[in-house]
Amino acid sequence: MGVAQAITLLFWIAAATLAFGLFRRARLWSAGQAATVNWWGLAAIPKRYFVDLHHVVARDPYIARAHVATAGGAVAALALVAVNYGLALYWPSLDWAILAAALAMLVGVAFIAWRRMPAPQRLSRGGWSRLPYSLAAFALGLALLTLLQPATLSAGIAVAALLLLLVGAAELALGIGTGGPMKHAVAGLLHLAFHPRPERFSGERSTALRPLDLETAKLGMAKPADFQWNQLLSFDACVQCGKCEAMCPAFAAGQPLNPKKVVQDLVVGLSGGTDAHYAGQPYPGMPVGQHGGEPEHKIVPNLIEPQTLWSCTTCRACVEECPMLIEHVDAIVGMRRNLNLTEGDAPNKAAETLANLRETETQGGFRNSTRYNWAIDLNVRTIAPGERVDVLLIAGEGAFEMRYQRTLCALVKAMQAAGVDFAVMGDLERDTGDTARRLGDEATFQALAHRHIATLKSLSFARIVTPDPHVLHSLRNEYKALGGHFTVVHHTGLLAQLVRDGKLKFSAATDAAQAITYHDPCYLGRYNGEFEAPRELLRALGLPVREMERSGPRARCCGGGGGAPLTDIPGKQRIPDMRMADAKQTGANIVAVACPQCTAMLEGVVGDRPEVLDIAELVANAIEVHA
Amino acid sequence: MRYPNVFQPLTLNKLTLPNRIYSTAHAEVYAETGGMPGERYIRYYEEKAKGGLGLAICGGSSPVSIDVPQGSWRPVNLTTDRVIEPMSRLAETVHKHGMKIMIQATHMGRRSAYAGDPWPHLVSPSGVRELVHRGNAKIIEVEDIRRIIGDFAKAAKRVQDSGFDGIEISAAHQQLIDQFWSPRTNMRDDEWGGSLENRMRFGREVLSAVREAVGADFCVGIRMCADEFYDDGLSHDELRNIAQAMSETGLIDFISVIASGADTHNMIANCMPPMALPPEPFVHLAAGIKQVSKVPVLHAQGIRDVTQAERIIANGWVDMCGMTRAQIADPHMMLKVREGREDQIKQCVGANYCIDRQYFGQDVLCIQNAATSREATMPHVIRPTSGAKRRVVVVGAGPAGLEAARVSRARGHDVVLFERGDAVGGQVNLAAKAPQREQMSGIIRWFDMETKRIGVDRRLGVEASSDMILAEKPDVIILATGGTSHTGQVPDWGVEEGLAVSAWDILSEKVAPEKNVLLYDSISGHAGFGTADFMASRGSLVEIVTPDVKVGDDVGGTTFPIFYRRLYAQGMIPTPNTWLDRVYLEGNKKIAVLRNEYTEELEERVVDQVVIENGVKPNEKLYIELKDRSLNRGQTNIEALFAAKRQPALDEETGDGRFVMFRVGDCVSMHNIHAAIYDSLRLCKDL
Repeated sequence: MGVAQAITLLFWIAAATLAFGLFRRARLWSAGQAATVNWWGLAAIPKRYFVDLHHVVARDPYIARAHVATAGGAVAALALVAVNYGLALYWPSLDWAILAAALAMLVGVAFIAWRRMPAPQRLSRGGWSRLPYSLAAFALGLALLTLLQPATLSAGIAVAALLLLLVGAAELALGIGTGGPMKHAVAGLLHLAFHPRPERFSGERSTALRPLDLETAKLGMAKPADFQWNQLLSFDACVQCGKCEAMCPAFAAGQPLNPKKVVQDLVVGLSGGTDAHYAGQPYPGMPVGQHGGEPEHKIVPNLIEPQTLWSCTTCRACVEECPMLIEHVDAIVGMRRNLNLTEGDAPNKAAETLANLRETETQGGFRNSTRYNWAIDLNVRTIAPGERVDVLLIAGEGAFEMRYQRTLCALVKAMQAAGVDFAVMGDLERDTGDTARRLGDEATFQALAHRHIATLKSLSFARIVTPDPHVLHSLRNEYKALGGHFTVVHHTGLLAQLVRDGKLKFSAATDAAQAITYHDPCYLGRYNGEFEAPRELLRALGLPVREMERSGPRARCCGGGGGAPLTDIPGKQRIPDMRMADAKQTGANIVAVACPQCTAMLEGVVGDRPEVLDIAELVANAIEVHA
Repeated sequence: MRYPNVFQPLTLNKLTLPNRIYSTAHAEVYAETGGMPGERYIRYYEEKAKGGLGLAICGGSSPVSIDVPQGSWRPVNLTTDRVIEPMSRLAETVHKHGMKIMIQATHMGRRSAYAGDPWPHLVSPSGVRELVHRGNAKIIEVEDIRRIIGDFAKAAKRVQDSGFDGIEISAAHQQLIDQFWSPRTNMRDDEWGGSLENRMRFGREVLSAVREAVGADFCVGIRMCADEFYDDGLSHDELRNIAQAMSETGLIDFISVIASGADTHNMIANCMPPMALPPEPFVHLAAGIKQVSKVPVLHAQGIRDVTQAERIIANGWVDMCGMTRAQIADPHMMLKVREGREDQIKQCVGANYCIDRQYFGQDVLCIQNAATSREATMPHVIRPTSGAKRRVVVVGAGPAGLEAARVSRARGHDVVLFERGDAVGGQVNLAAKAPQREQMSGIIRWFDMETKRIGVDRRLGVEASSDMILAEKPDVIILATGGTSHTGQVPDWGVEEGLAVSAWDILSEKVAPEKNVLLYDSISGHAGFGTADFMASRGSLVEIVTPDVKVGDDVGGTTFPIFYRRLYAQGMIPTPNTWLDRVYLEGNKKIAVLRNEYTEELEERVVDQVVIENGVKPNEKLYIELKDRSLNRGQTNIEALFAAKRQPALDEETGDGRFVMFRVGDCVSMHNIHAAIYDSLRLCKDL
């Protein structure tokens, strides 16, 4: 048997191994719950890979290029080998093409290996440290075999080259079946085909949580097999690049959460075993090797501790960052749902807040009739059924808080100055249920949402304006699935529109001493894609924004989302302190905010720090000087 | 939620108030001739409205009848339709900011002096004379009663027609309605006197007539006393009965409660409790009324802090708290509370400069806030300048220097403040040493916190020399160096020789008080009496000698009674109308030679110690050194100053050793705290 035949043999063995591995892995995925998928997704893989996924990967140009060379080279080489050797054609011309592909791959692999000298903390070690070298072996073996004609090949070199190729082929073919690093390639492509949120590929942000059918026996995810099969598949797509970990505010604060480890633990859970082989950074403060799981075993606390799940602020920085488009937040909220709905778990102040929501329809246990007490002396209309109004102002829970009432008063002042026809809901307003939902209490969320939707439907208004991005997100995105379709605008959007229409005018003289930075609220930015209106307003006010290093889609959370201030899982530092440090670094003396949670969290930072002002306050102040 | 009770709305009739703090009716002494609210009056209330207050009741003791002389406290004249137009402007102005407004209406009865326009014969149920106002009155006749009831109704209609949100009928401070209630002034044996039912008849008929005039939906309340504190006056129990009866008439929507009678000098001091009284001294009496009232009860008297109000309301003692002097000191108080800026509130200390001025027939001003009631010219909020940023050096951190530093810094300038002492405050620190005057330090506490907060470069414990000042390369120098005790005026007092010491020596504890002391007070203000009290409280036998007609003669109507209570209780000896000619030594005793102003007769006192309070002599050293080097030769342009305009000298090009210089406060000539602060505010607001 010549070298060529050996390659053919190796190819088919590898192909068979891979097919068998995929079959085994698919059986693990199939332990998951049924999901509605569109099989045409398979056909969409190239577009989703080259456009949507690359869009994320390209944010890191170094690795993007290295990956294009490596993966592109590998895929080309494999395809060519399949043709030339799989089909036993042995055309020399194709060998040149294979050589070219192998060399491209070799160059890519060199860059990948170089990046790991030394490897950034976020990158997993273990098999991932080996990968550049096994891939290099594959490329090198292939290159040697195609470059050097069989005639000139000494037996020793041929055997060595074949061995290199064998090592590389083993890495490629065994990955999916054994859970090696190359699993990502197969699972990743299939994940693109069967993504749980396929609308992400048609340009939607798709950030709304899916309603839970409260009539089913399965209330959230108790065990790995409770996830949908395509969610299990998505976890297998993880490349352990740690970009999620690097952006996670809870991880940075030293709270016991690492989104990468959550995904990897779920991989352990779906395939069975312990986390001893995990070679990335652990959950802060929790050693690796003491947890394990099986598809049918309870996740909490055997595989994942509850405080890991309760540390999440649902800020979606991990999701935004993930090159494999994995949905960490869906997984975490799914597991929280089970904890809350079946075991009543809600740590620290969360339980009290949920009880308040059930009993008073407010988070703080207030009387709903007092929600608009701050507006009594502002000559604000309260809507009544049968009365028509253009804008319905929904204040949210911040209405009970004196600091935030400042923002609300400012917003009212600005709307009045612009002649907006608006009214408030008065005691008809109730909590939207956002916090209940993030804490996993889907039952309370749905109860609140259904009542809220019924009330809103009984009122006559053109659009809703709210200064609370959490309210915005519920009303605009999450009520849809429950039958509530409303036009909802954030107050910065409305104010920006009023400025554009010339209905709001500011005095020219702004205080030159004001240096402003803007903190993007997660639920306005990442959840709703609104990055521009607040900045537009600040520009209109003549206040150039000194951007923080993490801003816009990559902004760092204030720590206030997802009920995290209520669950209050201790870490080494506080998330808002870190965010305030980001702000201070810009030299700003004002942090502009656009969310009641961000306001409260950032104002809670002690010591010498910039002032925290809502954009509505900045706007209202500028109007006053003008008048 | 902070202050859940204070920010709990309250509904009175159809009126919903956003919070439980209000400004009570008080005599502002701002109304224009004829009792019309003018620009000053309207701006004063507009500032409270801008400051987030929910309700103000204006026009303390505004008369409904023409037989009430109005000269001494310049109330709003509710006797004529002409008042409707200016009152409408007032209502409209404050409504723009969301504030509700009511006015107090009354007939004063005997509580006036007849000797002024329109020279009426005052009326009172039994014609008993009132001491405080020298109110001689005739016995009111039934015809007068009918006329006055009608006047109340007409006045109430005018108030309603002006767009006001309500009216408060005064039955407090021993005005006509409670002159009928009180056995102290009502000895009639007809249907208007005798039984409580008969004594209440007049008030009840007034309320019926008012209610009939304004209809069911207009807010009407009464203000009444909870205890007159006189043996022959109304007791708390009797007033509880009256309150219950009034609340059960169905004619009123609230009762506003104060304590204390007011027809003697001593009792007036209780009405607006000065700093000598404990906080909220009479809330228990208001709570007694609340127990029997069917309508919400409002109460003011010595409630200075919103946390105090929160506690009072949370305890259910009353439904709403008046914080009137608190609003005079800081009309933006409620806004600051709402915005979590409590530390920036200029808190009333109960110095009663405001009300003491009113008792002198002068307009109400705040000892620590020179912008109050001067809203047309003086800002409550200092805006940064749009002009050049200057380097300002202020020397001296008494009230004048602190205000100059604060305002200059708030204008955006770099401010260096030199103070010789280790703490800011100047003479106020001494004033706060006197017994029951400790709260004077609250004035300084605010300035201390504000100057730190806004970033004044404070150099404490540094006695600035001319060279040090110039080394700061100032564009503007403001001297607020105050003065020293002016004991050298009469060499025969022997201060040089150690025969007499100054009041400052005593208050600063440089010199200990001795057993038998003669205090010579040629000023008759708070300082002299405070020093006497300081010594008496430490066991000295003190004689106060003054050439004035009475000791403490320049201390106002709500403060001198407090002094006199302590004077007599501690056995001090008041010797007015007497000069101190000289002091000499005989053995180890000091002999003070006194001369009676009116008989020229000489007397001698053998004492252990002579203490002199003779006011302040300006510190002029720095001024004299720097005057010729300044571009404006240290001159303040008084035309610009009095017109609240920018100083023309500020147009000079400064820098590189060129500077302009001004003086404020006592370092020019002896002034009081308000004057010192006003000097600085009007000078620096345009810096």
